[in-house]
Amino acid sequence: MSFPSASSHLHINTNTANTRPSRSASPSPTRDRDWVDVYAPNEAGLPLYKARTSNNPQQPMEVIDSSTARRRGGGPVVDAFAQPSSASDDEEARRRAEEEEDDGGKGEKSSWPVTGIGMEEQFNQTIKPSGRREFEAVGTGRKGKDGGKWDKLIPERRPAATWTAVLREVAQDIKPHIPLIVYTFLSLFTRLYRIGANNSVVWDEAHFGKFGAFYLNRTFFFDVHPPLGKMLVGLAGALTGFNGSFDYPSGAVYPEHVPYRAMRVLLALPGIAMVPLAWGTAVELRFSKWSQHIVTLMTLCDLAWLVISRFVLLDSMLLFFTFTTVYFLACFNNQQRRPFEEEWWVFLALTGISIGCVASVKWVGLFVTALVGIYTAEDLWNKFGDLKMPLRTYIRHWIARILCLIVIPFCTYALCFKIHFLILNRSGGGDSQMSSLFQAHLEGNDFARNPLEPAFGSKLTLKNMGYGGGLLHSHVQTYPVGSQQQQVTCYHYKDENNEWIVTPTWEADPIDPNGDIVHLKHGDTMRLVHASTGRNLHSHAVVAPVSKLNNEVSAYGNATVGDSNDYWVVEVVDDFLRGSRTKFERIHSLSTRLRFKHLNSGCYLVASNAILPQWGFKQVEVSCDKNNNPKDEHTYWNIESHWNDRLPAGDQKLYRSPFFRDFWHLNVAMMTSNNALVPDADKEDTIASGPFEWPFLWNGMRMNGWQDNGIKYYLLGNAVTWWMASASLAVWVGTIMWHLGRFQRKINDFAPGEWNQFLYVSKIAFGGWAFHYIPFLIMGRVTYLHHYLPTLWFSVIMVGFLLDHFVFKSRRWTLRTKWIVFTLVAGAVVGTFLWFRECAWVSRDRQGSQASQVEEELEHLRL
Amino acid sequence: MSSATQQDRLLHRKPPPNTPSPAPPFSALPLSARHQDSRLDKRDDDFATAQASSKSTSLLDKGFEDDVKDNPRIEWLFAGLIFLLAAAFRFWRIDHPAGVVFDEVHFGKFASYYIRREFFFDVHPPLAKLLLAFAGWVIGYDGHYEFENIGESYVDNKVPYIGLRVLPAILGSLVPPVVYGIMRESGYPRIVGVLSAALVLIDNAHVTQTRLILLDAPLVLFMSIAFYSYIRFHKLRYSEFTKPWWTWMILTGVFLSLTISCKMVGLFAFCTVGTAVVIDLWNLLDIKRGLTIEHVAKHFAARAFGLIFVPAVVYLFWFWVHFTVLNRSGTGDEFMSPAFQQTLLDSPLTLNAEEIRYYDTIVLQHRGTKAFLHSHVDRYPLKYDDGRISSAGQQVTAYKFNDTNNHWIVEPTKEIPETGRGRVVRQHDIITLRHVMTNTTLLTHDVACPTLATNTEFTTWDGVNEEQEQDTRFKIEIDDAHEGQQWMTKSSHFQLVHVGTRVAMWTHQDPLLPDWAFKQQEVNGNKNLKDKSTFWVVDEIIKDPNVTDRARPPPKEPKKVKSMNFFRKFFELQIAMLQHNAGLTDSHPYASGPINWPFLLAGISFWTGAGELRQQVYMVGNPVSWWLCVVALSVFVGVIGADQLAQRRGMTPIPKATRNRLYNSGGFFMLAWLYHYLPFFSMSRQLFLHHYLPAHLCSALVAGAVFHFIASETINYPISVAGPTTRRRPRQVAEVGKGMVVAVAVIVVALLAGYLFLAPLTYGFPGLDPEQVNRRRILSTWTLHYAK
Repeated sequence: MSFPSASSHLHINTNTANTRPSRSASPSPTRDRDWVDVYAPNEAGLPLYKARTSNNPQQPMEVIDSSTARRRGGGPVVDAFAQPSSASDDEEARRRAEEEEDDGGKGEKSSWPVTGIGMEEQFNQTIKPSGRREFEAVGTGRKGKDGGKWDKLIPERRPAATWTAVLREVAQDIKPHIPLIVYTFLSLFTRLYRIGANNSVVWDEAHFGKFGAFYLNRTFFFDVHPPLGKMLVGLAGALTGFNGSFDYPSGAVYPEHVPYRAMRVLLALPGIAMVPLAWGTAVELRFSKWSQHIVTLMTLCDLAWLVISRFVLLDSMLLFFTFTTVYFLACFNNQQRRPFEEEWWVFLALTGISIGCVASVKWVGLFVTALVGIYTAEDLWNKFGDLKMPLRTYIRHWIARILCLIVIPFCTYALCFKIHFLILNRSGGGDSQMSSLFQAHLEGNDFARNPLEPAFGSKLTLKNMGYGGGLLHSHVQTYPVGSQQQQVTCYHYKDENNEWIVTPTWEADPIDPNGDIVHLKHGDTMRLVHASTGRNLHSHAVVAPVSKLNNEVSAYGNATVGDSNDYWVVEVVDDFLRGSRTKFERIHSLSTRLRFKHLNSGCYLVASNAILPQWGFKQVEVSCDKNNNPKDEHTYWNIESHWNDRLPAGDQKLYRSPFFRDFWHLNVAMMTSNNALVPDADKEDTIASGPFEWPFLWNGMRMNGWQDNGIKYYLLGNAVTWWMASASLAVWVGTIMWHLGRFQRKINDFAPGEWNQFLYVSKIAFGGWAFHYIPFLIMGRVTYLHHYLPTLWFSVIMVGFLLDHFVFKSRRWTLRTKWIVFTLVAGAVVGTFLWFRECAWVSRDRQGSQASQVEEELEHLRL
Repeated sequence: MSSATQQDRLLHRKPPPNTPSPAPPFSALPLSARHQDSRLDKRDDDFATAQASSKSTSLLDKGFEDDVKDNPRIEWLFAGLIFLLAAAFRFWRIDHPAGVVFDEVHFGKFASYYIRREFFFDVHPPLAKLLLAFAGWVIGYDGHYEFENIGESYVDNKVPYIGLRVLPAILGSLVPPVVYGIMRESGYPRIVGVLSAALVLIDNAHVTQTRLILLDAPLVLFMSIAFYSYIRFHKLRYSEFTKPWWTWMILTGVFLSLTISCKMVGLFAFCTVGTAVVIDLWNLLDIKRGLTIEHVAKHFAARAFGLIFVPAVVYLFWFWVHFTVLNRSGTGDEFMSPAFQQTLLDSPLTLNAEEIRYYDTIVLQHRGTKAFLHSHVDRYPLKYDDGRISSAGQQVTAYKFNDTNNHWIVEPTKEIPETGRGRVVRQHDIITLRHVMTNTTLLTHDVACPTLATNTEFTTWDGVNEEQEQDTRFKIEIDDAHEGQQWMTKSSHFQLVHVGTRVAMWTHQDPLLPDWAFKQQEVNGNKNLKDKSTFWVVDEIIKDPNVTDRARPPPKEPKKVKSMNFFRKFFELQIAMLQHNAGLTDSHPYASGPINWPFLLAGISFWTGAGELRQQVYMVGNPVSWWLCVVALSVFVGVIGADQLAQRRGMTPIPKATRNRLYNSGGFFMLAWLYHYLPFFSMSRQLFLHHYLPAHLCSALVAGAVFHFIASETINYPISVAGPTTRRRPRQVAEVGKGMVVAVAVIVVALLAGYLFLAPLTYGFPGLDPEQVNRRRILSTWTLHYAK
């Protein structure tokens, strides 16, 4: 790409300024701006950090952000229209002088930008600013509310418009967007180049591809991540004609019918959009042109961001929504001086939608949400201190924030789950994580067909109602501690070992297969016989293996051997559908909540979140809680499956499951499983890495098995970017301490407004980084290098920001120095990218090379 | 500043204290005077500090001493009474229970080890344990008892346990008077000091924890003295660089250091004082204070000396004592490096370590799993279940049991002499290992091992294939050794690094090899040379009694104990302590999360007596005290929050002096509480209620501050000692109304009631019947024994 476009932007600005009347007679560098920066209340020192690109003192300096650009209406006046013949500089100057004279008479008149070729002159001279809308309406043939009052003002189209002039006009219009367009194309190329090179299931495609297929098959599954990202994978599959008939075994070669290439291309799109978003964010954060390019180049040339965007993964979407959140937040910040106007609302709402989306892809998105939250809290705190602001306005601010940043994101999040539940209406592998009532509604599940009212002799499974609760389970293995009797656990997986038979006590008459059916009701004493081993659910005064304060629960005896320690009293808590227990007598399967009290010791059957050691296969411990805590959901059970030939089948209509209960239940289950992803000390996980390693880029991560004869990918950041990014954080801490210390000594290095801008960008960059990084230090779960990828963005912003602060916007350096610095940084970033491009592109055919060879090559590449 | 101005200032001195000139109480001043006062306050600081360089100590005469503080005799009397009461609470039935209670298991044992001078390992720094040992030594305890299990009788084992318990009891009794002192020095009236002291004094948790052989009594005492010293130091801020100023600063540093020398949580006390110091320095940097940058640097240097350097020296000193006392080999050897172990008397390393010579037959043991390097005639299967191919060579495994298949002969790869020192194997020698029973040589090569595709396979070479000979070469890399150091049995931890592929011999237990290798451990080549689990040690040299090895000199007499640099010892122990501390993650029935502590949701069962007596010691706080403190903390947060909101809207509901006191003094206490409480949330090790004890003390201080704020409109002001140039400020004295006294009296009575109610659980006496136990189970989450 041709780089000098930076200067051409400034050139445009000169022209724009020429056509604009000044607000006051006295020349000031800011006179031609139509806005007031809330972060720079005193205009005198502005523009913020504008370096002159030439020595021409006439050339005004200006800051462009999206809002000014939009307001101004873009392009300069094209000479072909403004001045029929090419205007010389003299003429130009004369014209400007005339203008200023004109303007002088009109005093404080401000002007609105106009879109329309050659109209600006006319407009500026004759129309009051308030007439803008009407003018535009007229111009487009619509009637303004004044009923064509301005009709006479529409200038006649001059036929002189030649094709060359039009082309030049178009070219001028496009010119400011050239870098954006070039970067977008580069991004397309880098992300899509040889995207299908590896025709096998790479890394977590094994998970997310499979989840996408589940959406196409509509079978219910369970995963620790919220559904949006996976639904988009499913959508990509649907759009590319994938029929869902492939279950993505890790490392397997894609069969013919799986359009993996097309799916990867679609899912790379969010990753591609990161680059233009990076440009836009840099613009909105008012970086200098140099920094805009640096930040965008870093985004473009980061190998980790590149590799992660090229597969069927959620990370590209997570990154995309993180980027949009920051972008919209920056846009919103630039609208702060125009509260409650259209664009203000738009950007606030877009920020909210972004938050909702990012959190619906992965919970990591909550970190960027926290950043927005802190920004908003500080903003409201500042407004709270503004004694001039009417209370009503202040409350409106609050309502706007609550609406856009709480209600909208929550609705987005909940909507994703609603769609998730709507799509997945067939029974599948994730059933057991949900409540029994929910499962009853899935196709292919016979719960609802089970008899409704359990009786003695019924065979049933019992589901614990605590969060993440499983089914009461027993197996032939015995406890190695305590009583050494047969283990009783709580387990999600469905098999015959979960089935129990409701049996009368030893003293009572055995069940008569032809006698009256005795329904189970509140207060009944019974035995629970494990169907497959014939043992009785038993408890005694032996300490439970993990929850040392509870009694052990085991399976003991057989059909003849047993004692009164096998007796359990059924206590009804309530019924989901029928209300409190006084309102009904018979227990229903699925919906009635039960507790089981051990008759002899008075303790309650509980499955809390204690996990048994390896001898118990890491299943959930079942014990008997001596503290009667009636509110503890871990002591609540409901009947899930129920078999009894003598009872009539149930009906699905009898069950309903409210959305919000399912929503909540699923979220808690996700949380529980997420926390359970703890590093296993016994297991060597070669690709896991700790948070302390990430900022230094100690290691990369193998994306797929490095079998011989395979195409290998390596998730490795661009070393220059990562190290600069990490270093910039430390430098920032030093910088801010330095400046604060100098303030304490009343030495001010900033022009008015600069300091506020400094703080604002600092908070976004450093705050965002800290919010995304520190939680990983605290959380106990196993972490991987790709968890750092959203975090990296904030440190990249910091690089651009500090380069601006120290070099590009500094008045200390000459233009030449700035060019040198820019070239060095950009060259290093691009150079490193090219040097390591093999990690992501696999442009050379490495088939047949061995893993050790690849490592050797990496060894060479090592800096 | 000109000397004329200084003269002027001096003329405005306060009259000497013997001429009574009671300043009008603050509230009596006209409003304008109050405003003036607030402005003067700031400027006073300026003058005081601006003159700091020209001041002289002679100016700091009694006349400038603020007489807000009352007669010191009365203060001493109060402190003494509080001490006596506290001692009475702790010494009552100190002989009961006459058995090992809870963590006495550990700390009693450590005291025994100190007295026996046997090296042990513990996660806590040594000071508190040294104190216990010192107490034991003084009373003539010989350290014979091991404190094996909770409940074992001291009487049967003839342990002078009362003497050991006296020391913590005395130290613990000193805590309430110090709390009283802190409140008094911070400018609170006597009655408020009494309140804060009572919250700590009449508290079951403090009493339980500080009358037993535990570390918390010295910890809490040193922490509170450190805070006291810091407050004294801060009050001298107008007389900077004077002798008392230095004294109190260095005392602060020393006591902070003593705190951290008891337990690592002392770090939180450091953070508290550190934060206060940073804020203080930040204010000194303010140009309005008029200090030159050099002067600020001097302040910084002084604090760096007193609060960083001095504490570091003190902290190191206790470790020096620790290492000096423990000069015998003991239970802690295992945790330390061989170099360290060789500094201990009677260490098996110094007794048995031998040089290894070429052609010695040795047994290699893996450090992590304690398994021996083993080989046998069986071969690897050609094809594994996952389809990978092996070399089908002879199996090399690691095996836990002694066996002749564990014998290997060290062979050289270079010329060695017939006899003499040239036959000794040294660091970085390249050797081969020949398996005695099968007469094959150990090798590794570029073939993946059975379980991990990333690691190389170990097998043996039968001498046929010439190419494989290169793969048999291994380099000895001894941990922490210099070039040419001898390879020793027992004491050299070494890696066997393959010359060709740079992998280290390694073994692991998960997964074990399948049945074809008899479920033995796999041995493979690990690329990660930094992995600490790749270290091996030579367990012994097998000597053939039939052969007299003329190459080997006769065994030498036992070697001397080596010495080691103190700092290396210190860092080694410090790192081991931190690592071990983080590793204490096992579950414990009485462990509880931090969220439970302030609300007293969980206690710890310390001791349970014989069944028929139904006695038990249950460590739990006095609910009246703890819940009052929680209320105070929330009121403090509420008041600060409300004040911030009001200020934001341009309102100032609290008079300036009162607010300063609330923010500075109350804020300091609150900061201390936060630092002593919040960090526990991020710790993953097992936590107990007694970890909250220092935080509870801080919350008692906050409670005093909040009580004073609510009960009285006025404060004692100013409390800082005026310097030579400090402008006289209108004084005010806090009004102590009758209501305040009554309120404190009511609280104390409630505290006593709560204390006595739970006293049977604190002292383990008398025994309670189930009904009484159940009545004392105030919260259902308390797990008391004998409830049925």
